[in-house]
Amino acid sequence: MKRLYAYCVGDQLADEMLEGASGVAGAPLLLLRRGRLAVVASPFEGKAVPATRENVLEHSRVNGLVLAHTTPLPFRFGTLADEQRLGEHLEKNEDALVSALARVRGCVEMGAKVIWDAAAQSEAQGAAEDEGRAVEASAQGAGTEFLLAKQRALKGAEALKARAEEVAALVAAGVEGLARESSVEVNPSGSLVVRAAHLVERGREEEYRERLRALGAGRDDLRLMLSGPWPPYSFSAPSA
Amino acid sequence: MKKFPQDSPEPVEPEVETEHAAAFAEELRRAADALPERINVDSQSVEQGLAKLVLTLIELVRRLLEKQAVRRMEGGDLSPEQVEELGLALMKLEEKMGELKAQFGLEDEDLNLDLGPVGKLI
Repeated sequence: MKRLYAYCVGDQLADEMLEGASGVAGAPLLLLRRGRLAVVASPFEGKAVPATRENVLEHSRVNGLVLAHTTPLPFRFGTLADEQRLGEHLEKNEDALVSALARVRGCVEMGAKVIWDAAAQSEAQGAAEDEGRAVEASAQGAGTEFLLAKQRALKGAEALKARAEEVAALVAAGVEGLARESSVEVNPSGSLVVRAAHLVERGREEEYRERLRALGAGRDDLRLMLSGPWPPYSFSAPSA
Repeated sequence: MKKFPQDSPEPVEPEVETEHAAAFAEELRRAADALPERINVDSQSVEQGLAKLVLTLIELVRRLLEKQAVRRMEGGDLSPEQVEELGLALMKLEEKMGELKAQFGLEDEDLNLDLGPVGKLI
């Protein structure tokens, strides 16, 4: 049975898009067609695909090749499947995959990541904890002291969470009316406080960058990284 | 070498833009290091995985109890003696959890399951 490395699935894929191009390990690209769908794949020998820089770039390059023509649903790096099982997967999930493709049609994924200033972050947390300490009585038993310490820690964590949510709201306001969909992770306890992916219509990528650059310019405590256009990795799961 | 039809657009090359490349590279490397390359299934890893799952659930309940105790203390519905007693009980529970974590070689971060779109458990 032929083993395939899968790059992406689409409903508007044509052989001409892949003409002359090769995939991971230099293998020729092919289209596996089932019903209204097709998967871009290449033959692969072996149990697993090594996560080397070269292989990751090959995966990205093939999907970039397809993205130049149409918006596919990308597979994760390293996706291997037997040809028969991959075909069965397409047949079984055809309607759901066609719906998922309609959801991302005409769009690309853009990404915004925010690191915040660790000093400002701990200052906010410390201020909230000090506030808790101020109400503390002087003579306490060990159990009471323990609970008061937990109270301070909770206040600090709540303050930090509120600040992180503010940063996420800032990013959301920046892409209002521009992002068709958003996928946002907020992590108050880490330096990388916001990881956002936005589904943006093709041709509006520069507008996206300009809007978020403007946000970053007003906030010295935030460091911004923008990336894209990507295939919609964050929007490829079937919608709820 | 790639060949494209004459009317074919160039492949899309994503751009990455930041004035703080080193800081982001460090953060992303840290995130990548936290991901296992492959899951090994052997008797020892299964045992530790099970311990991790059980301790994660206990840790979740323990933190909820702590939060509830703090809220009750703030609400003023506990006498000073009750606050002291509750605090001592939770302190001992925290110590016990520390011992169990050490026994299975687990850190605090190990007991925080990533539930994907829902976020982290704790």
